[in-house]
Order: sequence, then C-alpha cells, then structure tokens
Amino acid sequence: MKAGHIQLKSALLTLIFTACLYAGGEWTEPQVCSLCSGSVLNGTSVGEFCSSSAGRTLGRCCLRPDNTTGPERIIGLDLSNCSLTHVEDLHEASTAVIIDLSHNPIVNLSDTAFQGFIELNYLILPGDVDCPAGNTSWSKVELKEGNRLCEGQTNMCNQTGQLSMNCPENSLCAPYGPGFFECSCADDFHGYKCLREGEFPALQVFGPLGASAVVISFLLWVTQRHRDTADTASWLRLM
Amino acid sequence: MPPLCCGYLSQYTNHHLVAFLLTFFSYVLLHASRKTFSNVKVSISAQWTPSTQIVNGSTFSPGETWEDNHLFADEKQATLFLGALDSIFLFSYAVGLYLSGVIGDRVNLRYVLCFGLCGSAAVGFVFGTLTEWLHIYNVYLYCGLWILNGLLQSAVWPCVVAVMGNWFGKTGRGFVFGLWSACASVGNILGAFLASSVLKYGYEYAFLVTSVVQFAGGVIVFFGLLTSPKEVGLCMESETGLSPVETDTDSHKPLMSDEEDGVEVYGARHQPPQQLDEPEEESLPAVGFFQAFCLPGVLPYSLSYACLKLVNYSFFFWLPFYLSSNFGWKEAEADRLSVWYDVGGIIGGTVQGLISDCMGKRAPVLALSLAVAMGALVGYSRSPNDQVINATLLALTGFFIGGPSNIISSAISADLGRQEALRGSQQALATVTGIVDGTGSMGAAGGQYLVSLIESKLGWMYVFYFFVVMTGGSIVFITPLLLNELRAMWRDRRALQHQL
Repeated sequence: MKAGHIQLKSALLTLIFTACLYAGGEWTEPQVCSLCSGSVLNGTSVGEFCSSSAGRTLGRCCLRPDNTTGPERIIGLDLSNCSLTHVEDLHEASTAVIIDLSHNPIVNLSDTAFQGFIELNYLILPGDVDCPAGNTSWSKVELKEGNRLCEGQTNMCNQTGQLSMNCPENSLCAPYGPGFFECSCADDFHGYKCLREGEFPALQVFGPLGASAVVISFLLWVTQRHRDTADTASWLRLM
Repeated sequence: MPPLCCGYLSQYTNHHLVAFLLTFFSYVLLHASRKTFSNVKVSISAQWTPSTQIVNGSTFSPGETWEDNHLFADEKQATLFLGALDSIFLFSYAVGLYLSGVIGDRVNLRYVLCFGLCGSAAVGFVFGTLTEWLHIYNVYLYCGLWILNGLLQSAVWPCVVAVMGNWFGKTGRGFVFGLWSACASVGNILGAFLASSVLKYGYEYAFLVTSVVQFAGGVIVFFGLLTSPKEVGLCMESETGLSPVETDTDSHKPLMSDEEDGVEVYGARHQPPQQLDEPEEESLPAVGFFQAFCLPGVLPYSLSYACLKLVNYSFFFWLPFYLSSNFGWKEAEADRLSVWYDVGGIIGGTVQGLISDCMGKRAPVLALSLAVAMGALVGYSRSPNDQVINATLLALTGFFIGGPSNIISSAISADLGRQEALRGSQQALATVTGIVDGTGSMGAAGGQYLVSLIESKLGWMYVFYFFVVMTGGSIVFITPLLLNELRAMWRDRRALQHQL
C-alpha cells in the first residue's frame, strides 16, 4: 500500500513537472528515472546523498541544476530492487555521482555501460557482480552487506591535461568513466582526428589575392587586349 | 643569356614577355594544384579512415572524433585508392590531350585555356573542399571528379604550347622553350609551398587556396592573353623589326624549317581589326587528328616521349618514396632532396635547348643526352648513402632525362606543329602538342603501374634497369630522325666545302 501511495505521488509529481517543463520546451523527463516503479527512499545511500547535496528526487533519480540557471542533471540514480538482469542503456544518467544497482539479478554488466560516466564516484552493485572495468579502475572496492561498493574512479590517463602516450597526436587524455579515457583535441586543434589547427584566415588570404587578380587583369587588358584608343597605343610604344 | 650565335632577344616586345609569363604561370598553377594533391595524400587518407590504433582492445573515444569516417578500413587501402586516382587522372589526362589539342586548333586558344584553368579549379574545389565541408565521402564521386579534372587539365598544355609557338619563332625556340618548360618544376615547388603553408588548417584549405589561385589565373588569362602576334598586328610591323616570325624563315633552317605564317582561326567577334592577312588563308581548316598523327616526326617523337615521360613521371611520383624507403631518410628530407631532379631538368632543358638552337638540329642533342642519361641512371642506382652525392647524381640524372623530356614536350612539339609539311596554312600546333603529350601521358600512366609491380616483385634495382631500357627505347624511336638530320648536316658541310 505504501509503495503504491508513493508511486501515485511520484506519478503526480512527474506529471506536474513534465507539464511545467514541456511548457518550457527544454527538458523532458529522463526515461531512466521511471525504469522501474518507486522512488528514491530517504534511508538509502542515494537518498542520503541526494538530501545532503540539496537535490530533488524524481522517480528513481536525484536531480539538481548544474548551476543556478542551468538545466537539471541527474546526480543520483537508485535502481535497487528493480529486477534488472541486463544493464545497458543508462547514458541519460551519465552525470550521476552515485548509482545504486543493488538487489538486482544482474547477469550481464555491459563493458561500455558506464562509458562517459565521468562524475561517477560511488557505484553499488550486487555482491556477485564485479566492478566495471575491473578493480584497478577503482580506488576502493569492498563488499558490504552483500553489496559490492565501487568507490572513486582511478585516472586512466597518466596525468590529466598532459599529452598522453595513450592518445594520438594533438589530443589530450581525459577520464571518460571507469576504465575509459577520452582523447579530446588539444588547445588549438579541432576536427576529425584533431588534424586541424586554428582557423583559416580567409580574409587575409583571399582579400589580397582577389585584389591583385583584379588589378593584374585590368592592367593586362589595358596594355594587351584593349587597343582601340590612340592613348593606349602610344602608351604601348612607351613600354 | 643568349650566346652570340643567336642574338635574338632584341626582337621581343613586352607582348612577348606577357605571353611568356601568362602561359608560364598558367601551367605553374596547374602543376601546383597537381602537386597539392600529392602532398595532402597523408591528410586525406587520415580523413577517410577510422583511427587504427587500438588501446587495451578498445578504440578511441569519442567516436565522432576518431572513428566516424569509414570510407576505407585503414590507411593502406586509402593509399591504394589514391594511387588508383593518380592512374585514373593520368589516363583521362592522356585521352583529354588528344581531344583538347584538336579543339584548341578550332576554337580561340584563349577561351580553351581559360576554360581549362577555371574548370579544373572548380573541380578541384568540389573534390577537395566541398566534399569535406558537406562530409560527402564517396569513392565513385571522387573517381568521377578526378576523371573530369584530368579532361579539363588536359586543355591547358596544348594551348600554352600553341600560344608560345605562335609568339616565339623557331630561331630562339630551343632556348626560350627550354627556359619556359621549367614551369612544371616551378609549379611543383609552388604547390609544395602552398600546400605546406595551409595544410595545418585542414587539407580542404590546401585545395581551396590552390583552386582559388588557379581560378584567378584563368580570369587573368582571359583578360590579358594575346594568343598570337597577329592579334596586335605585330607581324606587319616589319619596319620596327618586331617580327620574330619573319626572321625565322631567313635564319639557318633547323630541324624542320617552317614558314611560321600560319593564321589563327578566330571567331568573327574576336578577329582583331588590324588583321591584315590575306582573307583566303583564314578560312583554311585546322588539321585533322589522324592527319596530324601522320605528319613527319610526330609518331617517332610521340613514342619516344612515351618512354621518356614514363621515366620522368616515375621520378616525380616515386622518388621521395624510394629515398625514404631505400636510405631511411625522413620524408621531409626526401622531399627536399627530390627537388634536385627538377633543378637538373630546368637547367638541362634550357642548356640543351640553347645548344640545339645553335646547331640548328634537335635530334642529335637529344640522342646524345639520352645516351648519357642511361649511364647516369645506372650511376644513380648505385648512389651511396650520402645526401650530397645523391643530390649531385640526382641533378645530373635530371639534367639528362628531364632536359630532353622538356624539349620534346615543348620546343619539338612546336616545331612539329609548324613544320613545312603543313605549308604553313593549317592550324596544327595544339593538335600535335596534344598528340605528343597525350601519348607521353599514356606511357606515364602505364608506367606508374609497372613501377609498383617491378618494385614489389624484383626490387628497386630492377626498376632502374627498367628505366635504362625505357630510355634506350626513346633513343630507338628517334633514330630514324637522328640519321636523317646527321645526313643533312653532312650534306650541308660537304656543300659548304665545295663552295669554298
């Protein structure tokens, strides 16, 4: 009964929020928040984290604006006791700091499930599931109350912000979720494979080029082809 | 400058200079855009392929930066395709040369030249810049555009040689054409410079800059080029001594003495008002394609040039690769070193052209140079791993191979297109130039495939033996002409002795 009540309440809230936000035309409710029924409970890790970081709960998610004006982002996701067997598409929650997947009969945790989860600092899994990308990708792994806790991602890059041996030329290595790194273009580089550097100075190149083409064309036309007047003929002799 | 034996510079006007420079830079810009394509190959193949480096079994993230383009699976396949594009280009260029020479003799040369320059600039822009901006990567589109580019570019060479042939009489032709035919090498250097200076903004800008420069060149040609001295009535100004054309017939009769009084067939609108020539001459038709093929000397020189251009273009395409793979020199060093071949060719073309002017014969000079070239090739193939010695040998090889190659493609083409057999009344200059250079390009196109085949099966040493054989072949093809000219020289000398 209690669960049903909460469900109703959350559905109502969701409806109101969705209506508000649809009116704004900017934001839709992440589907991952209603992946299963219920909402974030106060006593759970995600609930505690959410209240301590002044977030707002929405279904299974904890949301908080990035800054005062920005759109809300998912900072916590509580999918515990959700009957999940496969964890694949969670990318809507890629900004989450904490994710709880405990009490799920997970048989397959996809390798790339947490790719891009840069903020993820606290992952709770069922006890029989290993931390994604192995223990070396986490600074602390422990088994607690039958759950596996994966805490603090280790940095895959040797040194963030430095030209890394891992990344191709002109790109910098940056963390990109547990066990992943991202090669983003260095300072002035951009484009496919970061092959392009700086902006092409179109005006400086084509301005003088076009001007000189016009001048040369005109001069040559006057001296070479345009020979109707006596003026140019005499000028020709002078040359 | 010119030696005492041929003091002909005084007869040239500012029109000669402008015609020389405009035709020179037309071909410089064209060759610069060709060189741009060879110099951005690495960037293009990077753009067409996903990143092949794999770290810890996974590819790089994010995908849109490293993995999104899948035109080819890896850079090796992209390189193969780029090589195929080179061959496609050369074949369509060769076919185009046969056609455009015929067109050039029937339509105003200025229009054909302008059309070729601006058209190939536009195609280059679509090929390199537009497809990149719109992210359209399609093999068939690239092939189609490059065939079109070959056809359009082929319009340029016959026209510029024909214009040069109109302006510069036979007397100084060897020297002037020798100097002028440096345009390809200058274009290579300019193209390398342009490409390297904007490549960092992206390869599409290398194409953009060369295309825009080439287009501007086409516009300048349209407004500034006089295709023949007839357009300013220079031939008639005999009192000012401005007619190289008239002195031509009086001078010592070289290779094939020519009347040089052919008349351009103009459209009615572009007929200069000063046109003073006999009207019946103007209506004479241009020479037919097969008729031009059968002109004396055209077939032997075409075949000889096919062999020679094969060797010459193999050096153009393969030399940097050979240097970096055989001696382990860096790519930039190899590129820099390969310039010496061009330098040798420029000097060789000028000096040998000058000698042939003074002798009044071209074939003996060519034959001698080619014979020495066979030795130079063997010598170069045994070059030690020393950059100075290698560069010296390379310049020598360029002197003896690039020189004759430049002379055949320019001065001799002009000789052949203005020879006596035409009775000076037909337009054949562009057609003949097209035939000679077209046959040469056929040889060059086939050669690119043969060189890569021989290299992979037998090794570099056999590639050089192949070059020696081809150079020998080019001597064989001009042997009949050589014997004729030697006999004529012998007769002249005997006659001179009898007179004394």
